[in-house]
Amino acid sequence: MKELVAAITNLEEEAAVAIVEKKLQAGVSAHDILAACNEGLIAVGDLFSEGEYFLTELMFSGEIMNSIMEKLTPYLSAGETTATKGKVVIGTVLGDIHDVGKNIVINLLKGHGYEVIDLGIDVPAAEFVKAVKETGAKVLGLSALLNTTYPEMKTVIDELKKAGLRDKVKVIIGGAICSEKVREFTGADDYATDAIKGVTFCNKVYGHE
Amino acid sequence: MEESKQKLYNERLGRYLAAIKRKPIDRISTSIPVGSYADAISGYTIQELMYDPQKAEDRAVKFLKRYPEIDTFSAGFSSAVDFDILNSRLYRIPGRDIDPNSIRQFNEQEWMKADEYRRFIDDPIGFRMDIYFPRILGEYEKRGSIRSYIAFLKAGMQQGIAREQSRQINTRIKNEFAIPPSSQGIINAPFDTLTNLFRGLHGIMRDMFRQPDLVIEACEAILKQNLASCVAMADPKKQLPVWIGATRAGFLSPKQFEKFYWPTFYKGLMVLIEAGWTVRIFIEGNWNVHLDHLAEFPKGTVLFDLDNDTDIFTAHEKFGDKNAISGGIPTDMLILGTPEEVRQRVKLLIETVGKDGGWIPNSGGSIPAGCKPENFQAVLDAVKEFGVFHTGPAPKPEVSDMLDVKPQLPQIDRFITSWEEVKESNNWKIPGDEELIKRNWELFERMAYSWVISRR
Repeated sequence: MKELVAAITNLEEEAAVAIVEKKLQAGVSAHDILAACNEGLIAVGDLFSEGEYFLTELMFSGEIMNSIMEKLTPYLSAGETTATKGKVVIGTVLGDIHDVGKNIVINLLKGHGYEVIDLGIDVPAAEFVKAVKETGAKVLGLSALLNTTYPEMKTVIDELKKAGLRDKVKVIIGGAICSEKVREFTGADDYATDAIKGVTFCNKVYGHE
Repeated sequence: MEESKQKLYNERLGRYLAAIKRKPIDRISTSIPVGSYADAISGYTIQELMYDPQKAEDRAVKFLKRYPEIDTFSAGFSSAVDFDILNSRLYRIPGRDIDPNSIRQFNEQEWMKADEYRRFIDDPIGFRMDIYFPRILGEYEKRGSIRSYIAFLKAGMQQGIAREQSRQINTRIKNEFAIPPSSQGIINAPFDTLTNLFRGLHGIMRDMFRQPDLVIEACEAILKQNLASCVAMADPKKQLPVWIGATRAGFLSPKQFEKFYWPTFYKGLMVLIEAGWTVRIFIEGNWNVHLDHLAEFPKGTVLFDLDNDTDIFTAHEKFGDKNAISGGIPTDMLILGTPEEVRQRVKLLIETVGKDGGWIPNSGGSIPAGCKPENFQAVLDAVKEFGVFHTGPAPKPEVSDMLDVKPQLPQIDRFITSWEEVKESNNWKIPGDEELIKRNWELFERMAYSWVISRR
């Protein structure tokens, strides 16, 4: 399994998929293969946090995982393919239609075992509140690219308060436009300017550190 | 132009050009990109500003009456009519698709598929007309229909009209307010063109791993096309810089940057620089690991607008002695901070990055729409307070000594239907002056070629 972990860590897609096929033919359990893949993904995340890897490399680790899952899924029981770590509601706030950053975070969260409820783009505050209420998710991610969205992020958090949900959910705002100053203005719990921070935040909230 | 206004115009232009050339100036130049902020305080919706040239003109007039301290202003009219005529799916248009007060937003998709590189590279016109345009232009989806022909006809007419509308606004701004624009002509980094308009970030990310050679080949093909179109629009006097938004390098590792982004980016800009133009680059996102490369540009040829994520002090250390930098006032400070915070920040930037004039005030790329007016005023006041080097006259706008230098453009055929082809297919014998006919034929061919290549 060490070579599979290494292939994923080094982003060698063809090698990683070939190893998975070989292992499956040799009768290795899909569950164990999946565990090795996760180890590789975590290593990629660490390299990203250390500044060794950059965004497109982080994204490609998710692509490799997609290719591997195509091979693995038929061998996994239904329970093993569904996410188990926790639920996360995410969306791009009202007034902004950009979804590239949000989708990167979603892919990563799924890769790390979270169930993601994606509300899409240009999402009104009421829809965020409704989704948090209905799913019982403990994490809400608000994504944006435009710096005109600061007031809208604040509105979402104010609406959560009005609905009596603020103490039931942790809110993280994400995008290059976010900062400590913006976090403070909006009343969010944390902010992220890179994708892996979203995963770290969820791990903290759900106690998977 | 009146004499007093001509004098003021020359002072502003001279100061700006000298700042870019890294020559002595009387005070810090205020060539600040203020577009979004000017929109926000105009009293009009973004939709109105994109559909009504009178209102676009009034926006500029209002802004410049309120802020005479500004050295440059780009007053052009960015018409949305064009986006309706062809129904460009690359954009969400204020008032049509999204809130009338939102800016135009970009709809990123994999408009070109991973297996279409070959056609894209070998047949740029055919690829666009047959594959790309039916996907991105709603009115051309049924190509060959009457509706699709009429849409192209209208788009051609509209281009001429929009240019004239912009020209009128710019002429008034120049004559009445003595303000030059901050740039003329645009070029994009080939990797950005490929990513933004064709493959999207997800697509290009996969391509860099799975088919790297095609990415490089495509960038080289785009470079040739972009350069030819850019030179046709750049300032013939070679005073105003060409503008570039460098958008995607912040997502790349140093290795990817060096392999895919930098070679064609640098090569293209050096063609312009070696022919006597300067360039103004918006360095979007985080370029901290790529800064050594930016130090490669010759002295006095580039003005860098840095985004919030790139450290302006490190950038200054690496190449501040050679080229001017703008930025360093955090966007969130202008929106959420206080005038005193802004004043202190501008003071710090003038005393460090701008100590010999090589800094122009800016936030991350441009002053944001949500900037508090008192914070923008604080920027201008701080320039007066800390950024005056001497009270003598501003430098005169330098006339380029490279007017005769022709850019070394890559050889490409910029005709869709060459004169020879049309002559032969019609069996024309041309009893009169062939050159007269050919020259006009080719003029419109080149315009059509540029239109197809740059259409979005």
